[in-house]
Amino acid sequence: MTETSLDELGPVDFVIVEFPAATSNFTGEMVKELMALVDAGTIRVIDMLILVKAADGSVDAMELSDLEDLGELQILEAQLAELLAEEDVEHLAAAMDPGSTAGVIIYENLWAAPFASAARRAGGQLIANGRIPIQAILAAIEADEALETAGD
Amino acid sequence: MPLRAARVGRVGVVGHPVAKTAVVAKAVTPGPAPVAKTAVVAAAVTPGRRRPRI
Repeated sequence: MTETSLDELGPVDFVIVEFPAATSNFTGEMVKELMALVDAGTIRVIDMLILVKAADGSVDAMELSDLEDLGELQILEAQLAELLAEEDVEHLAAAMDPGSTAGVIIYENLWAAPFASAARRAGGQLIANGRIPIQAILAAIEADEALETAGD
Repeated sequence: MPLRAARVGRVGVVGHPVAKTAVVAKAVTPGPAPVAKTAVVAAAVTPGRRRPRI
């Protein structure tokens, strides 16, 4: 893997996907979709960890290489950058419920890199970003509808 | 299983304890079926949708 220039680096995000106890159903579909994003150049996976939170709240972190059968993830594992530190594990696991397992993925948004670079070259600085929850969109729609109804 | 030695003793990048996203908490509360909600949201973000001007 070639070294990424800071100027060409896309935004880096993380996701934690939690699987409550006894509800996980791993069919390989998630790995397939993740690999599709990587293969399409949409994202680059920088780091991955598996976290297991016991009923007493203690957290066990596993490297991807600790898994017995990596399958397609073998390709990703060879390219991980081990960005996360030990203290990150505690911070990330704070969102987990006791008794659950979670996958943590750190990834670069390759799709956004050219735009971000262009913005920087134009003198722009990222001052905020975020995600709008679907629930917030729903709430706004419902509020609009309530206003329209009140105006009738 | 222990983390790789390279992860130990380094400064983290997350910075603070992460809170469970509110979307997850709301998504499991009783309410309209998710399919119905999805259709409503999809309509709201349809290309070309415009608010009436004030």
